[in-house]
Amino acid sequence: MAQEKLLLLKNIRTKGYAADLAAYRAAGGYKALEKVLGKSQGGMTPAQVTEAVKASGLRGRGGAGFPCGLKWTFMPADPKDKPNYLICNGDESEPGTFKDHYLLMNDPHLFLEGMILGCYALSCHHGYIYIRGESMYLIHRVRKAIDELYAEKLLGSNILGSGFDLDLTVHPGAGAYICGEETALLDSLEGKRGQPRFKPPFPAQAGFNGCPTTVNNVETLANVPFIINNGPEAFAKLGTEGNSGTQLVSISGHVQKPGVYEVEMGHNLKSLIEDFGGGVRGGLKLKAIIPGGASSPIMRPESIDIPYDFDSVMKAGSMRGSGALMVFDEDTSIIELANRTIRFFNHESCGQCTPCREGTFWLKNLIRDFVDNAGSEELMQRVDRVAGSILGNTICAFGDAAGAPMQAFGRVFPEEFRKHFLR
Amino acid sequence: MAKVAFNDEAMREVETLFSRYPKKINALLPLLHLAQRENEGWLPPGWDTYLAKLCGTTVNHVRGVVTFYNMFRTVKPGRHHIMVCNCLPCGVTGGGALLEHLEHKLGIHPGNTTEDGLFSLEEAQCLAACDQAPVMMVNEDLRKKVTFDEVDAWIKQTRSSGE
Repeated sequence: MAQEKLLLLKNIRTKGYAADLAAYRAAGGYKALEKVLGKSQGGMTPAQVTEAVKASGLRGRGGAGFPCGLKWTFMPADPKDKPNYLICNGDESEPGTFKDHYLLMNDPHLFLEGMILGCYALSCHHGYIYIRGESMYLIHRVRKAIDELYAEKLLGSNILGSGFDLDLTVHPGAGAYICGEETALLDSLEGKRGQPRFKPPFPAQAGFNGCPTTVNNVETLANVPFIINNGPEAFAKLGTEGNSGTQLVSISGHVQKPGVYEVEMGHNLKSLIEDFGGGVRGGLKLKAIIPGGASSPIMRPESIDIPYDFDSVMKAGSMRGSGALMVFDEDTSIIELANRTIRFFNHESCGQCTPCREGTFWLKNLIRDFVDNAGSEELMQRVDRVAGSILGNTICAFGDAAGAPMQAFGRVFPEEFRKHFLR
Repeated sequence: MAKVAFNDEAMREVETLFSRYPKKINALLPLLHLAQRENEGWLPPGWDTYLAKLCGTTVNHVRGVVTFYNMFRTVKPGRHHIMVCNCLPCGVTGGGALLEHLEHKLGIHPGNTTEDGLFSLEEAQCLAACDQAPVMMVNEDLRKKVTFDEVDAWIKQTRSSGE
């Protein structure tokens, strides 16, 4: 039986863990901060922290998998006229993803320690944590944890006598999936409609209010304390080549034990479903999985005996994305999945680029024809063509995220579409 | 008509919000949330103008923001605003059935409010609790693994108490 590899969920898996500042400290928390800012161990410079994260091979856990340390090096090392900003992306609105909520709700200080270390590495003195507005309970939770830090002088001015000042603010979103896209998130944080920006300039050049900005996912930052405490080698040793560390996987759908599980990068995908998810519920057979949130192409059961990491899932024709593994049993209608997927993307398209705004609308109508058993070979090709015409033709990655899975439904399960042809 | 302005207590919150951002306009989203909290979950007429003045922006900008985000409402919601997740994993594991059940029970389609003003219904897109499906959010309260019996009992009790 496969076991979890606990690095981020160690505290959460400990029975009776209270998840407040005292409990987190008792479990060895804020030691990395002590090591970096405190005088007793000589401290570390911001460049040394960045170097450690770079050497660890940590890749962004938000979906794109961009190397975190490398991203940090794009920021000005010595901000003079404009301040540097670190923004945490806790928007987490991708269907199937709930690991950041789980982590923040049950161990907010692990993330906050990583956030403080990240701010120090980027010479940022005011960090923002963007959390979706629907999750008010989570916003209250994180705000409470931040208050604890201010009370213990782990936030504010001159943290641990190091001369480093930092404020953290939780910013509530207001119900827009697109604000998970980093430049849309920045606009939203500035008090505007959350519409993605054209790049370049990249956020590291002109981000929040035109200042150099880095946006990182919750889970990405939560890995930083481990890297500082145990050294980048210990982190790089975990996982597979080019995909180091552990990962939080959100398993949902028709499994016996849905939930968040932590495994090494590259853990077998089949084992995730069977050993952790407990297999398909009700003794039914597996029909399909979606391996990385609604924006990743669907897969057949015969192609899932692969390592679960960024590169391997990509090679198999899909995406690891944010680690949202959705499992569907034999009674699931693929057309229903396609319908739910396109309704989601059509609803959440920001409307800025024509191919995406119009494309998702027409795709929704086309899929509706199949739902009404009025499909045809020609309509099937049209779905493929319309979805294909969105790909690569939009400002942000949302267009690809909507088009690629819609092409995949027909490509991977053509027989399911044929069941809904007009007779 | 009620006064279109924050009371003294809310005004103190506004000042705290302004102190957390480099520019006043950056605080627009939290300000809109605050305005809705002070106004039974929506933005009555006049609040867009008021907030625009408060942050030093145009009314058009505020209206643009209000209409962009799902959570900002220019129509009064029910006292209990219900959002049912009917997205991918939730939808196929009971979310779709729950939404249908609520439509029947309340006699309204998503986007509407019951005549007594007690309930409004909305179809939500992922509430980030997919492992707890089916889920629904009532105002700020996330309810997990919701059963029909539980929902029926709650609706009945709410109706009889009238609040």
